[in-house]
Amino acid sequence: MKVSVLTRAGALGAFLALAGCASGPGSIYVPIGGGEQTRAPEPPRTSTSEPEEAPVWRKSEQPEEPAVVEERRDTAPSYQDSGERLSPAAQSLVSEADNLLAQGNTSGAISRLERAQRIAPRSAEVYFKLSEAYVAAGQLGSAEQFTLKGLSLAGDNTRLQRAGWLLLADIRRARGNVAGADQAEARAAAL
Amino acid sequence: MAKSKTPRKSSRKTPKPSRRPWFWRLFFRVSLIGLVLLAGWMVYLDAVVTSRFEGRRFEIPSRVYARPLELYDGASVSTTALQRELELSGFRRGDGNKAGSYSRDGNRFVISTRGFRFPDGEEARRRIAFGIYGDRVENFRVLSGDPAPIVRLEPAQIGGIYPTHKEDRILVELDKVPELLPATLMAVEDQNFYDHFGIAPLSIARAMLVNLRAGEIVQGGSTLTQQLVKNFFLTREQTLLRKGNEALMSVLLEWHYEKDDILETYLNEVYLGQAGTRSINGFGLASQFYFGESLNNLEIHQIALLVGMVKGPSYYNPRRNPERATDRRNLVISEMEEAGLIDPSQAARARGLPLGVSEQPSYSENRYPAYIDLVRRHLARDYREEDLRSEGLRIFTTLNPAIQYAAEYAVEETVPRLASGEAREALEAALVVTAKDSGEVLALVGGKDPGFAGFNRALDAERPIGSLIKPFIYLSALAQPDRYTLISPVNDKSFVLEFDDGRRWEPRNYDKKERGEVPLHEALSNSYNLPAVRVGLDIGVDVVAETLQAFGVTSSISRYPSMLLGSVSMTPVTVAQMYQGLATSGFNTPLRTIREVTDSQGEPLNRYPLEVDQVADPAAVHLVQYAMQEVMQEGTGRSAYYTIPEQLTVAGKTGTTDDGRDSWFAGFSGDLLAVAWVGRDDNGPTSLSGASGALPIWSRFMAGVPQHGFSPVVPDGVNYHWVNAERQALTDEYCDNARLVPFIAGSEPDQEVSCSGNLQRRIQGWFEGLFR
Repeated sequence: MKVSVLTRAGALGAFLALAGCASGPGSIYVPIGGGEQTRAPEPPRTSTSEPEEAPVWRKSEQPEEPAVVEERRDTAPSYQDSGERLSPAAQSLVSEADNLLAQGNTSGAISRLERAQRIAPRSAEVYFKLSEAYVAAGQLGSAEQFTLKGLSLAGDNTRLQRAGWLLLADIRRARGNVAGADQAEARAAAL
Repeated sequence: MAKSKTPRKSSRKTPKPSRRPWFWRLFFRVSLIGLVLLAGWMVYLDAVVTSRFEGRRFEIPSRVYARPLELYDGASVSTTALQRELELSGFRRGDGNKAGSYSRDGNRFVISTRGFRFPDGEEARRRIAFGIYGDRVENFRVLSGDPAPIVRLEPAQIGGIYPTHKEDRILVELDKVPELLPATLMAVEDQNFYDHFGIAPLSIARAMLVNLRAGEIVQGGSTLTQQLVKNFFLTREQTLLRKGNEALMSVLLEWHYEKDDILETYLNEVYLGQAGTRSINGFGLASQFYFGESLNNLEIHQIALLVGMVKGPSYYNPRRNPERATDRRNLVISEMEEAGLIDPSQAARARGLPLGVSEQPSYSENRYPAYIDLVRRHLARDYREEDLRSEGLRIFTTLNPAIQYAAEYAVEETVPRLASGEAREALEAALVVTAKDSGEVLALVGGKDPGFAGFNRALDAERPIGSLIKPFIYLSALAQPDRYTLISPVNDKSFVLEFDDGRRWEPRNYDKKERGEVPLHEALSNSYNLPAVRVGLDIGVDVVAETLQAFGVTSSISRYPSMLLGSVSMTPVTVAQMYQGLATSGFNTPLRTIREVTDSQGEPLNRYPLEVDQVADPAAVHLVQYAMQEVMQEGTGRSAYYTIPEQLTVAGKTGTTDDGRDSWFAGFSGDLLAVAWVGRDDNGPTSLSGASGALPIWSRFMAGVPQHGFSPVVPDGVNYHWVNAERQALTDEYCDNARLVPFIAGSEPDQEVSCSGNLQRRIQGWFEGLFR
């Protein structure tokens, strides 16, 4: 049972190595100040300009209704369909972790992968790799959680999703959760 | 008594003949007593010397390190933050060639790293070059040393946990220190160290002669052994008794132990300076303290300075008395030359060099009191206090100095502007910053004066959270997609709850208005109370309480309806823990301040690994995240965009309690989660709301750090649809009331309405679609 988990994890690893070569999506990165700030920033003030006005403990959380209707900001809540790719720096740490895993040094691999996770916290791949390392360490509970976390970031990448669901199925089966494993396999098959 | 009387009586009678025997008898007796006493004293001293020396276990403080800065192509760091970080880690601005130095030319940096032993292995010395554009590292190259795509700088030491007597040291071994150091030490302090038996009467005599001639003390005759004994066992007072003890103990020490043992102990014991209340003991730490370098990397002139300082660490303090220190150093260099340790050209070169002392010690004690406080509390779970104080543990924390700086700046800058008059004096604040996906605590501010180690509000101020609870109410509701969606109409209308005991509860909106039916997402983004309580009561107070517990709240939660308006009290750190799961897709990540602890040799003792635990359906969390982004764009948090750049998409929630006693804001970007609190220590009222108190601090902080915007990946089973919320129906993208809203699959409306008007927009949209 454990062997199958490891084989699947290995296959996933090979796939991730390929996936890592793909290029990243459009940037959501914002440097300090944001570059093209259009409006003059005005810090919110709370001290009233009329000192004679008796202090009123205004409970309202809602900002005052603006006297003039503000120009509607042309932004809507943001989301993205695809997850982020591993950066080359994170990829290099993942490769190091692979080597360590091959040598049976799981704790060394995990510490490399945690460094990779800090660099690429929104990449599904790094969590799947962590899952693989925890499978090797025999900690299937942690492995399952990292797989789920990876799946939450897989987005519309069906190959990543399928790989994740199959890995999850194996882990669950190894943990004795047959129903959960079947469910995960069904998810993979439906993709 | 009787005995002493007898001779006196007899002396009166026959004084002369009996005097001699009496005198000798007394002399003999006194000598005997003296000898016995001396022998006893020697036995006692011997016990003192051996027991102290035998169990020669120096107490080594624990060292607390910040997270190391990792440099690679794409690393996120601003030039000012990098420069500050380099200073903090003890790098010097220079040519960038010598280890521990860096050069900067506009946006281009060249850094020569020192190398460092991390728990997961040695980080080698390297010379690296890169540029910083748009707050990101570009063109990263390793100029010399092993090639690597990613390099870690030596972490800044941000604190220590010291022995009660406040001695600080870094232990060194005799066979691993540069040979020149002990050789110079002997040449200057004790030329016959390897020949004498602890004391050197000849040296003492010679020193006395020299001193007599000079009319002052210019030379000491103490051997290194005596100096060690003095440091080790005795007080600093200069009495004859002490001198005697010193000599006796020195002889005893030499009797029992090898010369090399004594010399090694001396190297680690000798007092070489003071940093506040902390004393700098031994050459290992002195080297770090004065040069920011390990002993092995010192050059001739630096070794000479340290050896010279043995004579009077404060008198020859190179930072305070550079001229004196230079003279003394040059004198030592001459003695090195005379003893044949260096050749004349080396000596001449060394004398010509500046002192080479770092401007400040590479860290100051207690720079981050609130953060260290949290670290100590985490350590207290796994380590005994005395081990932390004496075992020389190395503690690798998650503190990010650049983020801590931005956090402190935001608090210090904003709090004084929040209110006026007396109210301002009383206002206090706290700020907690964590890494969104790893739960690492990156920064912590415990009060409006971040350098002051007082009441730590981030950890200890337990305050009602007000509307910060609302996302959890709606999350509990949205987890039942057959009953609630983001556009479900909820009733903003007052009502009265009557309890069994006859008490009545009549919640109200903060602005006392009622709006009738509003869509759920709007009720959340505008923080209306009445719909929140209605929804909470509808799904059940217990269900909401369970949601909070799943998200990591461990304190007991009252199951009264008032809980739905945030009567639950929490500390800012607990709020950060609770919001961590909202910021990710429902994964609880335990907050961590420590990555690893190693022993003094670098062997790992404890790792605190990344853990994730799914506690909520990612789909439902995604819906709440949508509404929390709306809070920032259209709701109670929109004033944040006066401060933060428009491109930085963020999500968050305001919180206010009665009479503005507590002003909260909790929110996150793609990288960071931050929780700000403002209020008074005496729990008095303020004129602030969440939006006008805590939010300005939060925004100021967020504006000061380069980061990724919040743009969550749409989870499996969530679809976005254009809808008309009022009509509870799907609609066209270009209709007037159209809004793109996420739905858990199957919960989207099944009716459709098309809009009649605005043909122009529809045509425009059609063309835009064509070229998209």
